[in-house]
Amino acid sequence: MADTTTTESTVRAPFAPWDRRDLPGSFDVAETARRVGNYKWAEMKLFETLGGWVATVPELDVKMRLGTHCYHHAWHAELWHKRLPELREMKPERLTVPANDKMVEFIDAMAEPEAPELTIEKLVGVYRVLIPRFVAAYTFHRNNTSEITDAPTIRSIGFILQDELDDWRDGEMMLQSLITTPEHVRRAADHQARLESIMVDAGGIAGHGSIGFGDDPSTEGGG
Amino acid sequence: MRQFFPVQDLARDERFVQTNMAERMADARTALDPEKKSKKSRGSSNRITPERHDASDAARGLMHGIMVGEIQALEGAGRTAHDFEAGDGSGDTIPFELKLDMARQAWDEARHVEISAKLSDWMGTELGQFAENTVLFQAACSDDPVLRLAGVNRALEGLAIDVFTQMKEFGNLAGDPYLAFCEDWMLADEVTHVKMGSDWLRKVTEKDPERRAKALEFQQVVDKLFSFGGARGDSEESPIGLARRFRELAGFTDGEVDKIAEMDHDAFEERMAAVRLAQEAAGASPAPA
Repeated sequence: MADTTTTESTVRAPFAPWDRRDLPGSFDVAETARRVGNYKWAEMKLFETLGGWVATVPELDVKMRLGTHCYHHAWHAELWHKRLPELREMKPERLTVPANDKMVEFIDAMAEPEAPELTIEKLVGVYRVLIPRFVAAYTFHRNNTSEITDAPTIRSIGFILQDELDDWRDGEMMLQSLITTPEHVRRAADHQARLESIMVDAGGIAGHGSIGFGDDPSTEGGG
Repeated sequence: MRQFFPVQDLARDERFVQTNMAERMADARTALDPEKKSKKSRGSSNRITPERHDASDAARGLMHGIMVGEIQALEGAGRTAHDFEAGDGSGDTIPFELKLDMARQAWDEARHVEISAKLSDWMGTELGQFAENTVLFQAACSDDPVLRLAGVNRALEGLAIDVFTQMKEFGNLAGDPYLAFCEDWMLADEVTHVKMGSDWLRKVTEKDPERRAKALEFQQVVDKLFSFGGARGDSEESPIGLARRFRELAGFTDGEVDKIAEMDHDAFEERMAAVRLAQEAAGASPAPA
């Protein structure tokens, strides 16, 4: 039987017209590994704290949410743990460190409340200070890294950011339902101010440069 | 926040009333009846069956017990994720991956609390209607993480396998697909948790046989505690059956399951003897031995 089909060319450009991903990125492999190590450390501290607090909060719905969110952050730590060897760090523990001493101070202060009547303070530290900082650092990283060479980090950040935003909303709604008097408002604001001050000194999850490029906090966000 | 958190400080709202194992087993309402009565009586079988007059109350009580047990399991898993630093498993450290598993278990247990709360509502039970026995969290208070794996993941989560199997059967017998469906899902998670405990216990104590022996001994203590009165066992007399197949899936050897069955049987016999003595003392006709 005669071949009546014509052979069509399959030649195409390597990037489709709608694929606008760019090659340059702001972070080399070592800097990416450093940031990922800081993320892992902070996610670990967060899931440990949430797990520890479950037994200390009397509100049943909050207790269950803390247990659920504990796993979300453990999974984030796991993703970063697996990413580190891909970034030439064969001993992930070596880079699983806080960005600086102020981050350690922040985590200690955030995890300090234990008494059952301090649920507001517990939630404020996580959902009004730390998680917004995660959202900021991850967003900055995603928007500044190479969209091609660092695609695996971007993919993880995409999943993680979805969790962070969902958990942030959950936490904020729990807080709004618990803050019902002027005294509650004062407690929440005082605790937030105390923790926020330490976090400003720390510079964010990955230290100064978490959402910028300089060591000087005044250049944050400006590059 | 303290590194270790004592059972007496467990945070609860004012609906919950806590008790301990001794008080609970001393409660006459939980007593096993050595005499077999009519098929519909409480004494016809210690298993919860739809024919029993008190089947609804018994199922509600058991479901409430499951719910508070899940709350404590959630708290225990959370504490283990928190209380120990990540390390090589020696001393006060646990492997990073074990911490991750504990966090995963916390999420699973949180879902189980949600499921049990909804099932309790479905069965017409109020939160706090029955007393809460805090023994599960107590087993999660050890300062050796390996003992927690043995006591909680293997002994108590193993008991959960037996209880969920029992409740699933009850749901099927009672024509309650909602109950059977939920129990089946929770059962799948529990098998995972027990397997987690079995695997980690072997791995962490691989080069430390003494520590492993101590952990298995602790597991037997907890198993024995829950064999008190033969509440769980192979026998039809025991309210909760031993789910051999699921335990096998969860990493128990045949010998380990046989040992638990033996302890359950001995405990049941001890309790029956105690009931007979109490009846004699009260002037009632003794039950046949």
